[in-house]
Amino acid sequence: MGALTKPIAQYASVTTWAEGLRQQWGGEPLQEEPGKLAALETFCDFVGEDPDVIVGRCFRVRQADGERVLSVKWRGHYADRIKEFRTQQAAANGPRQAAAVLSFLIHNGILIQV
Amino acid sequence: MEYLELIGTRRSIRYFEPDKPVEQDKIQKILEACLIASCAVNAHWLKAVVVKRDEVAPDDLERMKNPVQALVIALAPVHIYFYADLSVVNEIKGTRLKELVDVGALNPTHGWSHKFVDDVVYAQILKPMTENPGYPVVAAFDCGIAACQGLLMAFELGLGACLTAFMPDVVAKYTKVPSTWVPLYVLNVGYSAESKEAGGQRPRPPFEQQYHLGTYGNPFPRDPKVVEELKRSKMLQTPAPLPTRKQEVRELARRLNLPE
Repeated sequence: MGALTKPIAQYASVTTWAEGLRQQWGGEPLQEEPGKLAALETFCDFVGEDPDVIVGRCFRVRQADGERVLSVKWRGHYADRIKEFRTQQAAANGPRQAAAVLSFLIHNGILIQV
Repeated sequence: MEYLELIGTRRSIRYFEPDKPVEQDKIQKILEACLIASCAVNAHWLKAVVVKRDEVAPDDLERMKNPVQALVIALAPVHIYFYADLSVVNEIKGTRLKELVDVGALNPTHGWSHKFVDDVVYAQILKPMTENPGYPVVAAFDCGIAACQGLLMAFELGLGACLTAFMPDVVAKYTKVPSTWVPLYVLNVGYSAESKEAGGQRPRPPFEQQYHLGTYGNPFPRDPKVVEELKRSKMLQTPAPLPTRKQEVRELARRLNLPE
C-alpha cells in the first residue's frame, strides 16, 4: 500500500475525482479504466504522500481574509514532481500516467499544466 | 471562405497539432490583415512580435506558462505577441493623418486640412489625449480591432488560433520590445487538432441583454427572420455542445497525453 493507509478509492479527494469524472464524461471512468487509479497510486508512492495530503497541501488559508486559496509554492512543487514522475515512468506509459495525476488534481480544483 | 461563414466558424482553438509548423507566408498574411484594420487617427498602436515556439529554450517556455494558457502556448507552434505602442502618437505628430488628407480619405468636406491637423488635432486633441489616464484604454481598443482581423485571417487560411494573456517579463527576453510598448495578448497560432466545428458555436449572452436601441434598457429587437438568414449563411451555427464534442475532447486528450 506504500504511502496509503487504506484503499485509494476511499480517500475523500479520490471520491471527488470520481464524481468529477462522472459529471464530465458520464459512466464510471475510474471503474472502467482502473489504470487511472493505479497511476495515482504509483504517484502517491513516488512522492510518499496520500491523495488527501497532496490536495490539502495545494491550498492554504490566506491570513488577510481567511480565504482558501491555491498555494503557489505547493502547486509548483507538485508540478515539478509530476514532471519527474512523467520522465521516470516513461517506459511504462509515463505521459498517460502523469495525465491521470493531473486529472485527479484538476477535478479537485487544482489546475496544474505541465 | 465567405465572410459570414468565416466569422461564424471562428472558435478559440485550444488544441493544436504541436508538430505541424505554420508556413511563413501565412504568418505574414495574418500580420497584413492586422495592418489594414480600421484605426483611429491612423496611429497604428498595434505592434507585434512573432516568436516560433521551437526557437524558445525549453526552460523559458516553461517560465512563459501561466496557469490558464500553459497548454495552449505549449501546443501552438507560433506565438504572435501583441503590444500597444503608447509612444506612437507623439512620434508621428499627426503626419499619418496628413497622409489621409493627401490621399483623399480625409477631406475639406469634413473639415480636414494639414493646418487643421497641425494646429488643432495634434496640438489640442491628440497630445493631451496621451497625457490622459484613460489613454491606454483608447490604444488598447484600437489594437483589439487590428488583432481581431489577424485572428480571422488565421481561420481564413485554414489555421486555428486563440488569444490568451502572456507573461510579459519572461517573453521580453525574446521580444526585446521598447518600454513604451504595453503588453496586450498573444495570438497562439497553429493547425487545429479540433474539428472545424470545434464542438459548436460557443454560448453567448442573450442578444437583447447586450444591445440596446436608442437608450439603455430598451433592448434592440432581434428579428427572427434575420437570425434565420444568418443561419443560412452559416454565420450563426449549431450551438455548443455538439453531441460528438465529449468524445472529440477525450480522443484529443488521449492522443496528446492530456488530463481528462
